[in-house]
Amino acid sequence: MIRALLVDDETLARRLLREYLQAHEDVKIIGECDNGFDAVKAITDLQPDLVFLDIQMPRLTGLEVLELTQRDHGVIFTTAYDQYAVKAFDLHAVDYLLKPFSQVRFDEALARARRLMGQPTAGLQAITTHTTGKLERVLIRDRNQVHVLALNTVASVEAQDDYICIHAQGKSYLKTQSLSELEGRLDPTQFVRVHRSWIVNVGHLKNIDRLSKDSFVAVLHNGQQIPISRAGHERIKALI
Amino acid sequence: MHPVLSSLRALSWYLLAWLAGGAAFASVLVVSMQTPWVNALWFAVPVCLAYAFVIPSAYYVCRALPFTRRRLAVGLVLFATASAIAGSIGWGLCLVWNRFSRTLELDWAVIEWTHHTGWALFAAAAGVYLLSLLLHDVMIALEQMRDAQRRELQSRVLAHEAELQMLRMQINPHFLFNCLNSISALTSMDAVAARGMTIALAQYFRQTLSLSEQSSIPLAQEIAHCQCFLDIEAMRFGDKLGIDIAVDGVAQTAQVPPMVLQPLVENAVKHGIARSTRAGTVHIKGVVRGAWLHLRVDNPVEDDAQSAQSDTFAASSATTHGAGLGLGLRNIHQRLQTLYGDRARISQHVAEHRFVVELALPFTTTGAHGVHSP
Repeated sequence: MIRALLVDDETLARRLLREYLQAHEDVKIIGECDNGFDAVKAITDLQPDLVFLDIQMPRLTGLEVLELTQRDHGVIFTTAYDQYAVKAFDLHAVDYLLKPFSQVRFDEALARARRLMGQPTAGLQAITTHTTGKLERVLIRDRNQVHVLALNTVASVEAQDDYICIHAQGKSYLKTQSLSELEGRLDPTQFVRVHRSWIVNVGHLKNIDRLSKDSFVAVLHNGQQIPISRAGHERIKALI
Repeated sequence: MHPVLSSLRALSWYLLAWLAGGAAFASVLVVSMQTPWVNALWFAVPVCLAYAFVIPSAYYVCRALPFTRRRLAVGLVLFATASAIAGSIGWGLCLVWNRFSRTLELDWAVIEWTHHTGWALFAAAAGVYLLSLLLHDVMIALEQMRDAQRRELQSRVLAHEAELQMLRMQINPHFLFNCLNSISALTSMDAVAARGMTIALAQYFRQTLSLSEQSSIPLAQEIAHCQCFLDIEAMRFGDKLGIDIAVDGVAQTAQVPPMVLQPLVENAVKHGIARSTRAGTVHIKGVVRGAWLHLRVDNPVEDDAQSAQSDTFAASSATTHGAGLGLGLRNIHQRLQTLYGDRARISQHVAEHRFVVELALPFTTTGAHGVHSP
């Protein structure tokens, strides 16, 4: 028995999937979601064998759902027209259905998914690790909640052991990621690594105080004070 | 800056040419006044090199009153005066240099200076300057022609880009494919609804094509087009999508560029209804106040979705300039600016859990409001 989850923001699209699945008696639909947040929760809680995942969805895209759940197996994408997302990953590594699709095409994708059941695929792993490409917003998972932070609200990021602590809108969010990895995906003209364990958003910078001859501290609009290393001082000076 | 003076290379060639000019001038002196060669060269070359720096001023004279903007009489007076002044300067240069040379008391360093010589030198200097004025005039005219050509090419490229953008907007691939998928789903479940959606979709695209052929349409037509779009969306979203259109009678007759509201309505559905987990209503309002047509489209936003919406559609702060706007709004802003210049405004803000976009256009009921035909 294959336990499947349907994720699509349109009722009709989900009903179509349901109809196509009727031909496959060994597939049981264990849930439906009409937005990315619910999908993250359902994938984590239900651990389905197979997820039919729409890419363009309310609040979180299908790709972001994968990044947040770190799911690297048993996913079939469905998308109407998303040339950028489709181009972004290797077409052969990931199966996706272009809407509208036929029962035949659907069955093919399902057969393929059946063969690969439970095995991580390279294409999905590439999406979950997502180490390339510029970030547009930061996603944080906090047990059953997902926070979406617009980059301009992020004031600073601090490295803490295996975590990073993101300071935004007066709150702090923990995320499992390395500071260098995050730094690589941020706009270098907006975010500066001022210290081994600190990244600062230049837009939130109020002023730079000199403590002694060679020691500086960045003061942000929210009052936060952030140490600046010598190399960090060179970098931020070059930017402002 | 004068093109000759702005580059060292050009300047060297220019001065070299004047060196040759000086030699030619000297030979004229030799032939006409039987001046010895040494005296002629000593006199002519420095004077010519100095005068070389007077000549480029013609560029500024010509630029100050370009060929296309001057009347013949004004041009004649201007050229005559400028040539006379330059001629006097040339004559002065010769006189001063010869006086100075005389003080050196060297017999190879002066030329014979008669009353006649002074006039001849003045005439020559003025003549050369006049020639330079005419040359500069031609040069500037050519330059302007090239500039005009470049500008025309540029505007043609821009027009093509706008056309492409319009085409993409007309085809609206994401909407089209999603609709086809909905129809595909409906065929087995509800054949009548599938047919209804096919017809509505066909009507929508037919309208899109015919509307975009026109440069301006009555607001009533644009609203009808939005209604057609919303009818299709209502089939897809069911009860989740509420629609409230309130456009007063005068506003209905106002001329607007086609497809000015539809993208806003589409965004409102996408961000306010599709993205939301709850049902919501999209409001479309149109009123005429004085000389202005005010249009407003708003949709509900959920608090936690707000930042995402601001990210993808528009920045959080209201603005009338292109900078802080999302792609959808920026396209409209650009179109309005080419059509109306500064006489159109577009702004957006979030108020009371609603995302609001407001447009203000000059109110007119005739098509001729400076709209360029596509």
